[in-house]
Amino acid sequence: MKIELNGSEYEVKQNGITIQKLIDELKLDIKSTAVAVNKTIVPKSSYAEFKLNENDKIDMVTIAPGG
Amino acid sequence: MKNMEKDKDILKIGKYEFKSRLLIGTGKYPDFQTMKEAADVSGAEIITVAVRRIDFNAKENLLSYIDLDKYILLPNTAGCYTAEDAVNTLMLARELDVFRTDLVKLEVIGDQKTLYPDNEELLKAAKILVKEGFTVMPYMMDDPVLAKKLEDIGCPVVMPLASPIGSGLGIRNPYNIKIIKETVSVPVIVDAGVGTASDACKTMELGVDGILINTAIAGAAYPVNMAEAMKKAVEAGRQAYLSGRIPMKLYAQASTQMEGIVF
Repeated sequence: MKIELNGSEYEVKQNGITIQKLIDELKLDIKSTAVAVNKTIVPKSSYAEFKLNENDKIDMVTIAPGG
Repeated sequence: MKNMEKDKDILKIGKYEFKSRLLIGTGKYPDFQTMKEAADVSGAEIITVAVRRIDFNAKENLLSYIDLDKYILLPNTAGCYTAEDAVNTLMLARELDVFRTDLVKLEVIGDQKTLYPDNEELLKAAKILVKEGFTVMPYMMDDPVLAKKLEDIGCPVVMPLASPIGSGLGIRNPYNIKIIKETVSVPVIVDAGVGTASDACKTMELGVDGILINTAIAGAAYPVNMAEAMKKAVEAGRQAYLSGRIPMKLYAQASTQMEGIVF
């Protein structure tokens, strides 16, 4: 299914993939990753159960240089 | 005469205590390695970072250059123009384990050209974030009335600008900064505008509690050397303030005694 990940189209093999599995697939460090789905913040404790739907807009953030 | 006890000069922000009065940003460095070295020599304990979408194509990761046991990372809300955006940014940041404290740098920008803060939105966001349990460090105009309002709603520090972000103009209204310092009982950290070491020193001599510097260090020809210069300037300014400078006089006051003069 198709989702929008950080503003770009992204194809995930598994329908209804969880946030946790997507993080694993992207080889991201969970400690430095925060997630919002359709602009709603998802608490870290829900990553394992939270299933994504077709066309969901996912934002994955981390720290970046700033003053 | 008793010496000043420098070791006991602690900066308190809410429940947190710091020895260093220099806070630095991580933006605009030529590369992450230079940022790391500058942070190390600056002696800073707090360093600011932004919260942004992950760049999946990035070759390097800022985090791998930051020792989380050594520094407290302070998430900012740079680029946010409404209270809602700023609050959401920090709520999202709260899910990042790299932030070991509830300290946050709140900025709500009101104008693209000056990057001056939007007072109403800032106050609105600060109220929400204080209620959410954050230790809010607001970047604000050099406005004593607003400083008092931010203190009253529970900000344990206020951070007035010296001049526009990244301008390097130095402290444009030292009298307002002094009035802010006299108006609030929470610490005052000057955030933005410092251009070089003398600016940092003069700012600290006004009696403020700390300075947050990014561009003046990151944008210098030799950022690591400038970081060291800023460290010394902040320490010198603080020490001079605590030491009690002499009053200014229009005419000379001889420093050599006249008694015993022969000719």
